[in-house]
Amino acid sequence: MAAADSPSTALRRRDLCSRGIRLAGKMRADVVDLLDIYVEQQGLDASASVAAVEGVPLAAVERWDEQTGTQRLLENLAAYRAFRALLAQMLEEQREQLGEADAGLGRALAAVLLQVSAFAYHLEELLRLESRGIPGEEGDGPPPPPRLSLFEQKLRGLGVLRELAQWAVRSARDLRQLAKPSPATGTAPGLAESP
Amino acid sequence: MFSRWNWVACGFYLVLNICSPDASGGLVQSCGHIIPESPVLALGSNFTALCILNETCLDFGNIYANQIIWKIKNRVVPKEQYREVNRTVSSVTFNDTSSLATPLTCNILADGQIEQNIYGITVTVGLAPEKPKNLSCIVHQMSRFTYVMNCTWNPGRHTFLDTEFRLKYSWPEEVFPDCIPKGVNNSCTVNDIQFFVNTEIWVEAANALGKAESDHLVVDPVDIVKPLSPQNVSVSSGILPTVLKLSWENRVSNAVMTLKFNIRYRIIGNTSWMEVPSEDTASPRTSFSVQGLRPYTGYAFSIRCMKEDGVGYWSDWSEEKTGITTEDEPSKGPPIWRIIDASHSPASWTVHLMWKALKPFEANGVILQYEVTVRDKSCLSSPLKKYNVTSTNHTLQLPKGTYEVTLIARNSVGASPPSVLLIPARNSEAPVKNLRTLPKHDKLWVGWTAPNSYVLKYVIEWCLVSSSSDCIREWQIALGDVQGVDLKGIKPFKCYLITVYPLYADGQGSGQSVKAYLKQDRPSKGPTVQTKKVGKAEAVLTWNHLTVEEQNGFIRNYTILYKTIDGNETVVTVDPSKTEYTLSSLTSDTLYTVRMMASTDNGSRTGPDFTFTTQKFGKGEIEAIVVPVCLAFLLIVLLGVLFCFNKRDLIKKHIWPIVPDPSKSNIAQWSPQVPAKHNFNSKDQMYPEGSFTDVSVVEIEADDKKSFSEQDLKPFDLLKKEKSTSEGHSSGIGGSSCMSSPRQSVSDSDEGETTQNTSSTVQYSTVVLNGYRDQTPVQVFSRSESTQPLLDSEERSEDHAGGAESTAQRQQYFRQNGGQDENNADRPCFERAKQITHANEGDLVGFVQLQVSGQSSQPLGLGIEKNTEEAALSSVSQTCTEGQTVRPETVGENPLSVDDMPKSYLPQTVRQGGYMPQ
Repeated sequence: MAAADSPSTALRRRDLCSRGIRLAGKMRADVVDLLDIYVEQQGLDASASVAAVEGVPLAAVERWDEQTGTQRLLENLAAYRAFRALLAQMLEEQREQLGEADAGLGRALAAVLLQVSAFAYHLEELLRLESRGIPGEEGDGPPPPPRLSLFEQKLRGLGVLRELAQWAVRSARDLRQLAKPSPATGTAPGLAESP
Repeated sequence: MFSRWNWVACGFYLVLNICSPDASGGLVQSCGHIIPESPVLALGSNFTALCILNETCLDFGNIYANQIIWKIKNRVVPKEQYREVNRTVSSVTFNDTSSLATPLTCNILADGQIEQNIYGITVTVGLAPEKPKNLSCIVHQMSRFTYVMNCTWNPGRHTFLDTEFRLKYSWPEEVFPDCIPKGVNNSCTVNDIQFFVNTEIWVEAANALGKAESDHLVVDPVDIVKPLSPQNVSVSSGILPTVLKLSWENRVSNAVMTLKFNIRYRIIGNTSWMEVPSEDTASPRTSFSVQGLRPYTGYAFSIRCMKEDGVGYWSDWSEEKTGITTEDEPSKGPPIWRIIDASHSPASWTVHLMWKALKPFEANGVILQYEVTVRDKSCLSSPLKKYNVTSTNHTLQLPKGTYEVTLIARNSVGASPPSVLLIPARNSEAPVKNLRTLPKHDKLWVGWTAPNSYVLKYVIEWCLVSSSSDCIREWQIALGDVQGVDLKGIKPFKCYLITVYPLYADGQGSGQSVKAYLKQDRPSKGPTVQTKKVGKAEAVLTWNHLTVEEQNGFIRNYTILYKTIDGNETVVTVDPSKTEYTLSSLTSDTLYTVRMMASTDNGSRTGPDFTFTTQKFGKGEIEAIVVPVCLAFLLIVLLGVLFCFNKRDLIKKHIWPIVPDPSKSNIAQWSPQVPAKHNFNSKDQMYPEGSFTDVSVVEIEADDKKSFSEQDLKPFDLLKKEKSTSEGHSSGIGGSSCMSSPRQSVSDSDEGETTQNTSSTVQYSTVVLNGYRDQTPVQVFSRSESTQPLLDSEERSEDHAGGAESTAQRQQYFRQNGGQDENNADRPCFERAKQITHANEGDLVGFVQLQVSGQSSQPLGLGIEKNTEEAALSSVSQTCTEGQTVRPETVGENPLSVDDMPKSYLPQTVRQGGYMPQ
């Protein structure tokens, strides 16, 4: 498979990885900024610990360096699809709560949502380059969130953003790993090993 | 007939059909309609419209398609374009829609005359949109986190229709809302830009005639970012005097992109920028140290940035920030020169040292003082003299000799290298040669040929030549290997005196000078000409040189232009060194107008007109005419005088009769109111106290000439004596008679005595005058019966009454008087008369005027000539015109010939005869 990579494919992959890394960096920076705004707007404590939010994939993973490229891409894709749905829900809830009164938070949320979507697109493209099938969203999507109170919504939002920031860091590392030329094939080793 | 009624009915039906509400409630039910309804047509295409008539109108109004008339905005469409499709449908075709206009109407011609409108449509003609071209987008950073994307494109030709442009952009799986331009059709700005995702951007244009889409642009917005320039730029000086450190803040997040920079800087006051090499600032940073700067110099800095990989756009330059480098020691010594004044003393000099302040990039700081060291090279043992000066000049009194002057400038950091000036005792070295100047734009180039010897440097002195002020010298130093310099600060149209001195290692050459202009102009005024001397055919003109301020250039020549009022102008060119010129070959007695023009290389200026008139006569011509005329006149006069002298008797007789002067009349002097004016000095001497009161007039026969001998005059003495005793006085009557009556009246105090004194041959008329001074005079005139001529005599009576003594005195008087006459025989009579008069001046109270009539026509004076009577009388009569006159009185037996007529004044009425009372 990897041996069949044409130069244009390799170039395309490298470009996608490079762009994805920078997008992840930008996304993290924006999410960090958004977290400050969000905590302030929602009246939360920045140091408040939030338990794991249901439906939010965790960035932390054991034996990360042993993952294949495809695994990395798939995990990332699943996570960002989940974040896309969560952020869209947060944006809707935020609009319901504040209306147009706080357009800045809404714009920032929308911008992060766009970046999440763009990153998901990057991952899909990379998977296409690997000639891997792209899993459908319906099956992999998070279950419908239970009806939460307003405070719980705020806490969940905080958890989503914090985890997204974590994922941005991990995604950048994943893509760097993918972008590293394989000694044998010039492609990401993980991809060759992926099922 | 039927047909007419039918058409009328048809028209009525049409009107009803159009104007009456139809069954459906509408206002108008048309008899037909046009297909298509209000079309939008492409410009230049063909178009066909159909007008379809309603069947109802056909049945009732006999209206058919062949009666249809098409109109475009009231203009009938030619029938060639019509086509009758069937009896209810008519079509019209236009090959080019550009000839269409709104509205297009379908009309029917009822009864062949009445035109009725059936239907009308609006036609819109335009163009389909062109494909938008040249789509380009740029992402502007608005704030740290805000970016907007502005895309521009070329919308293509004008469509004449409402055309909508939409900027579309999308991700592969995300379609964003379109950006619709507001107010423009060639640009749009998108606000929600996401980086690191390739975005497809294109423009779609659409109107009623179609759609067009631009080429798609796929770009990651981060690659078209124009970031904001760095902010909060600061400049700080470091330890080194050639380094300044810049610091700034970037406004682009590293998460978005990393930046590279451009740094530019310039010296304050200078407009040209220098740039730090771009490879030095190609990495992300927030500070940079600029090196290689000048010490103690102000610099302005500006920074810009762009994405580190160079993809995108440079930001604008940041605002300028300034900084000053620290001081360094002066890099060179000040240029030094001197002016030597040796006029005060033959043995010493006054040396004015002067030097130029170092330029800022040479001074490298604030010059605190200058150190001047003077060493006498002719006397090596003499000590060095040091002076600390804060100004840029210093004056020394030095004995004549050779000196070496060293100058050092000091600032807070250190001292400059020394500048050395050698002042030799004499400028004995070779001067420069071939000194010349050449204007170069706003500079004046001065060139020279170097002497054969090695020259250390040259000193170029120049000063503005002025007629009103001293030459203020400026100077500069040129290195020895150059043979020309540009002088700056030279004003155009001003004369400069430029001097070049070569400086040798062991001496100095004498200066060579040249005058030059940077730019010449025509003189600011023309010379004022005037004449110094004007002749008949020439005129000497004179003028003053223009001042150097008025010249504006080198005066190449003067031009004299002169002409008569109606003549041609004559032009004469004169050397500029002259101030006088002689115009020759002028016309005499002619008015000339002359003016003068001064010329430089760049033009001329004419002075005021001056007019003069040449003289009518040349030099000596008047003299040549006047002198002969005068001489001729004098000759004529002389001849006339000689003639008159020869004919004096004749002339005197005819045109110059003797007129007695009343003011010399004794009678007039006798008037008490008139003071005596005659000074009978002789009598006065003889009779100082004497005065006459009586005046007798004695008429003596003309033929009794011999009675005028001395002996005959003795009875006169007696007479005088008696007269003196009388108190009668002659009055003004006597004067009056003298003036107007043919005979002078003679007053006598005693008629008897008069008779006695004049013997039998003389009868006197006597004027008895009484009252002298306070006495009332009694004037008695008595006609003399005597026919003898009167002997003019004058006697004076004294105030006191006559007596023996007075009588004797009178006798003596007559004798002495006669004697005096003898002595004065050659003198004019009037002089003697004066003497007599003067003798009695003061005491004279009366006159006796003696009129003598006789054959002799010559009047007799008082005195009697010693010589022959005739001779005496003749001599007296010539001159005694103002004195006593003897009026001749002709006697019957001794008629007077014409020649014997008296030459004195004789009233015409009394030529002969005796006394005629008035």
